[in-house]
Amino acid sequence: MIRRTQLRTLAFLTVFASLLVTAACSDDDDSSNGGGDDSGSEESSSGGGGVLDEVVDRDTLNCGVNNSVPGFGFQTEEGTYEGFDIDYCKAVAAAVLGDAEKVEYLALTPEQRLPALESGEIDMLSRNTTWVSSRDGAGGGAFVTTTFYDGQAMMVPTASGVTSIDGLADATVCLTAGTTTEQNLADRMADIPHTPQTFEENPQVQEAFLAGQCDAWTSDQSQLAGIRSSWPADQGGPEALTILDEIFSKEPLGPAVRDGDSEWYDIVNWVVLATIEAEELGVTSENIDEMLESEDPEVRRFLGQPVEGEDGEAVVEHGFGVGPEFTVDVIRAVGNYGEIYDRNVGPGSPLGLDRTGTANALWTDGGLHYSPPFR
Amino acid sequence: MVGIPAGFPAADPELAGLVPPEPEPPRFPPEARLTPRQWVRANLFATRAGSVLTVVFGLLVAYVAYRLLWFVLVSSNWEIIRRNLRLFMVGRYPVDELWRLWTALYLLVGLAGFFSAATAANVEQLARAAGRDVERPGPVDGLRRYWPVLAALVVLLSQTRTWTPTLLTLAGGVILLATRWLGRRAPGLARFAWLAALVGVVAAALVMDGPGDAEWSKWGGLHLTIFVTVAGISLSFPLGVLVALGRRSSLPALRAMTVAYIELIRGVPLVALLFFGHYVIPLFFPNTVEPPPALARAMIVVVLFEAAYIAEVVRGGLQSIPRGQYEAAQALGLRPWNVTRLIVLPQALRAVIPAMVGQFISLYKDTTLLAIIGFTELLEVAENSVSQPSFLGQRLHTVTFAFAALIYWAGSYTMSRESRRLERRLGIGERT
Amino acid sequence: MSTPAGERTRGSLAAVFFDVRVLRVLGQVVAILALVTLALYLQDNYQANTRDRSGQSGWGFLDEPTGFNIAYADFRSTQPVRDAIWVGVRNTAASAAVGIALATAIGVTVGVLRLSHSWVARKAATLYVEVLRNVPVLLVILFTGAWLQTLPRSTEAYELGGLIEISNRELVFFGTTLNIPYVALTAALALYHGSHIAEIVRGSIQAVPLGQTEAATALGLSDLQRLRFVLLPQAFRIGLPPTINQFLSLTKNTSLGIAVAYSDVSSLGFRLIGARSPALQTIIVLMIVYLVFSLTISLVFNLLNRRLQLVER
Repeated sequence: MIRRTQLRTLAFLTVFASLLVTAACSDDDDSSNGGGDDSGSEESSSGGGGVLDEVVDRDTLNCGVNNSVPGFGFQTEEGTYEGFDIDYCKAVAAAVLGDAEKVEYLALTPEQRLPALESGEIDMLSRNTTWVSSRDGAGGGAFVTTTFYDGQAMMVPTASGVTSIDGLADATVCLTAGTTTEQNLADRMADIPHTPQTFEENPQVQEAFLAGQCDAWTSDQSQLAGIRSSWPADQGGPEALTILDEIFSKEPLGPAVRDGDSEWYDIVNWVVLATIEAEELGVTSENIDEMLESEDPEVRRFLGQPVEGEDGEAVVEHGFGVGPEFTVDVIRAVGNYGEIYDRNVGPGSPLGLDRTGTANALWTDGGLHYSPPFR
Repeated sequence: MVGIPAGFPAADPELAGLVPPEPEPPRFPPEARLTPRQWVRANLFATRAGSVLTVVFGLLVAYVAYRLLWFVLVSSNWEIIRRNLRLFMVGRYPVDELWRLWTALYLLVGLAGFFSAATAANVEQLARAAGRDVERPGPVDGLRRYWPVLAALVVLLSQTRTWTPTLLTLAGGVILLATRWLGRRAPGLARFAWLAALVGVVAAALVMDGPGDAEWSKWGGLHLTIFVTVAGISLSFPLGVLVALGRRSSLPALRAMTVAYIELIRGVPLVALLFFGHYVIPLFFPNTVEPPPALARAMIVVVLFEAAYIAEVVRGGLQSIPRGQYEAAQALGLRPWNVTRLIVLPQALRAVIPAMVGQFISLYKDTTLLAIIGFTELLEVAENSVSQPSFLGQRLHTVTFAFAALIYWAGSYTMSRESRRLERRLGIGERT
Repeated sequence: MSTPAGERTRGSLAAVFFDVRVLRVLGQVVAILALVTLALYLQDNYQANTRDRSGQSGWGFLDEPTGFNIAYADFRSTQPVRDAIWVGVRNTAASAAVGIALATAIGVTVGVLRLSHSWVARKAATLYVEVLRNVPVLLVILFTGAWLQTLPRSTEAYELGGLIEISNRELVFFGTTLNIPYVALTAALALYHGSHIAEIVRGSIQAVPLGQTEAATALGLSDLQRLRFVLLPQAFRIGLPPTINQFLSLTKNTSLGIAVAYSDVSSLGFRLIGARSPALQTIIVLMIVYLVFSLTISLVFNLLNRRLQLVER
């Protein structure tokens, strides 16, 4: 009896130990292979290559977004998401899966957004995130073309009479933690004594601001505009707040994908560029059907339509995993850049941001939005 | 002489010195029945210090009660609760999948009702067989026992905008009564109570895990709180027991590892561990595998955290077992594992039930910390609903926090009262 | 079971293997091997996942400039991360120390009140304890923070002769300035843990043998004297270990300062992670900080405990 028990125990332990040893050895082999690979390689053993395949398999795009910034990423009381950044998620889903609604939105705090991208929890990040060198490199993200050129600004109660940041000596400035906002503020107000109060999320800053615990609120100009636009009437409405003119940082906002998968990067990037090119070519979600019949070879190439060439009809082959007509899907789903802008943050929207003469205009109008050709 | 009762047969001189007299039952002074005036004198103004305290606190309590009633009935805007009730209860669970939650609830209520009544009937039967009479608690006792939960339920239902939730809750009540009626007639099935609990909980979880936003990792509100509490305790309890046994093992390596684990986890706040779980755990997964969803990571942390505390509690229980028990068990020829399983653990666990319930309550309250890592937890809803455009700037924090406080308080208070009741019934702390 | 010490009835290799003593050692070796293998595997994955980041593994981040300012501290954004962490440690200590003192004061007072002669006072104390004990600490903290927000704005601050100033940004008492986040956190922790300590105090006073109370009364001591000279000292000995647990708990609960914008060491750690400090190392630093706090408090109070133990003959 005793012998049998001990024999059993011994056998079990031996088997277990040998399994462990085998597992350890094979893991070493795998990881050394993985370590030796080029980080830019598209092979699936490293760098998480194959995001396109994962998305197609899953038939859903996991998009990291904001849920509390009106105009950019906002979740209504019914639970639907809307905003500038949301539209770009839809655009990518339309391009890759053919359906703009096949998106799974994940609301993230500033601290969570890049780790979520790195770990593969989300396929793309579209959450008013600033493109900075450290996020591109050490941060593990790869930023595509900028969709919105923003900058950090300061908002004060109109009644305070403050007209410039230099007038904020000894003020309490409130902001949300975990963003470049903290660092920009520290740099701009390095010589001006002030008290920075960092809160976790916008709603908390709102409450503090209303209670008078803050003299000023600093954040990206776009966020401040959104907050100002929905300021309640019994608190004075939008006129009770003033956003100071000075923009004291460069905040180019745009979607990001995880480092190491150049195919996926190209897809997301060219979806963004498609919206810009569409506006330049005058293609809108309204006139897309007519545009498909257009004679203009540039428009035809853009829309993936066959163009007469020396060797007969040819259709553009992009070579990054989506068909030539992906632009059509994108425009049909969300429209061109101008439409996206006007719908969410333009003069007709609650935010009322006019893009004429700013960096957010097309390059033909003096702005920075410029798309390489689609051919 | 002292100790000799009136009717003692002192007549028999032979017996007088041999048989010790029957000890008289102790006689206590009769219960004082005070008139209201006497009661006031005794309880409110007994001493000078007491009188001062009565006046001071009397005024204080009266003032607070007045402000509270005014707040609840008159001034505050309960609209924010009404509008967001679904958010509070189930987070962003899709409306057309809510039937899953009601089904799961009815399932659990039905099983609980049936088996609680069956167990009670079984105990009654055994007691009667042993010749003792058992008092059956009536509905009034039930009310007195569970009034905090019922009060919270009433407050909740008063905030609904349609009659549907109230009707559905009443249906649940009917199911409870019906299954209790059935259970009382089936004392023989009482032995399956634990199995039924296990099956019921698993079935409920499977039903509630729906497609899309109803997926388990997206649950929110009170639903999430209850899920994390129940899942947390059920998973951490066995782990905690194992760790406690390991801590007392004679194998130095095992003991070192378990001590390190316990001391490390207990020395660190849960918030830091939750952040660790959220940010660092995904980095431990190879690139090719999708890391577990955020809620799974939080659950892993919670289970590891609670297991360390449960291990300490169980260790206390294990230490209280006299050596004689071990020796007797070994003398009977039981092997070490059976000694633990059949003799030591049952006694140890029984002795630490109150502390265990205390841990359970702690976990229930600690689920609020999930709000800090971004889950749509009950407290987070309370905090953020205040910033919705229709409610911004009205300082409605007091209302939402009071509401959340009521829900947590009702659950926690009831659990601690049940624990004290259990303590009394099991006679823990009384000398055997 | 196993053979008597030293004797081997089966003289073969098998006998060695089947010896329980050998199995025990083997088992431990296997367990340690398993743990080490797991650790190496995890570390490998971690390295792979953070490979692209320079300075992400290792402790170099402690010397890099923080990049942001800390409120209510003499701190510049150019100072290294380890200075920021030190500010956090000081803040945590400040909140914990005052919190412990206040909680003890509240706890003893309320605990004693629960046994007073006045029914009203007893019930009031019971109400306080039963409400605050059964509510999550984060809720108490948020509630306190929200309530303090309703204090007047700094432009309309309540002033009393320049010595006292009350606003929703800071409280000034006779020259000492306390910022509101600090007050919110410390007060909330004192109230919450005070209720737990009150329960412990009540329990320990009731655990003092009844004979002591009767003897004290028989000797003619007044209530206050009885409390002070007989009951409390003995109750103290009984109640000290669970009270030490409350102190440890309070210290750990200062980590919730992030909810009221207080810069304790945990909130600073989380802000650092948001500013791209490596998550694993930062949290390890946090854990070390809290372990040191816990050990210190444990040591100090357990020394006290040991000196109070009854010396049995």
